[in-house]
Amino acid sequence: MIYKVSYVVTGQMHPGEIVNQDLPPEIGDRITLGGEMFEVVEIIDLAPPRGDFAYLHATCKPV
Amino acid sequence: MSVTDLLRRSELFYELTPEQIDQVIGLGQEKVYNTRDIIIEEGDQSNEIYVVCKGMVEVEVSQGTVPDVPGRLQVNPIVRLGRGQVFGEMGLIDRGARSATVRCAEDGTTLFVIPRQAMVNLCDGDHDIGYLVMRNIAADLSFKLRHRNLQMGVAGG
Repeated sequence: MIYKVSYVVTGQMHPGEIVNQDLPPEIGDRITLGGEMFEVVEIIDLAPPRGDFAYLHATCKPV
Repeated sequence: MSVTDLLRRSELFYELTPEQIDQVIGLGQEKVYNTRDIIIEEGDQSNEIYVVCKGMVEVEVSQGTVPDVPGRLQVNPIVRLGRGQVFGEMGLIDRGARSATVRCAEDGTTLFVIPRQAMVNLCDGDHDIGYLVMRNIAADLSFKLRHRNLQMGVAGG
């Protein structure tokens, strides 16, 4: 499965990221976006899967 | 991972056969960029589409001028695109000028660059490929719009 993930950041002006991953993000994950550390606080399905692609949206907060 | 494998893992080529992906690969070439390199610039002609094979790019748009600095554009980053993502695809569809500037955000970022006209010719000449590529571009644009909507929502926009 290829996880196409939309990351957005709460509480600040941050462009977020869109990236393909081999593993899905999980709540509590600490990730680096643009050199800054964030924590994943919510994950939703952004659209139904198509073939090998899953479409996820992850909301992050600054750590 | 080979370019073929990387492109197969990009949504742009979802459901294309290996032979069809090879046809697309024959049209383009890999290019490597370093941090802050400008890849495309807002307002320029749209002559290529890009797939991120490795690294990260940042998409930014100008929004008026910087206060108290006449003539200097205020630039806002709107999204960063990593592995497997496509940009420059709007120009493939509408031939309009670039709607944003895209800068390299990581040293060694590797892009697969496909000349616009060659891609159009391939899609026009093989409607099976053309349908899949255009459908995949539509899905990608939809995803970017959903990302932008959610981003504006959490930012209170």
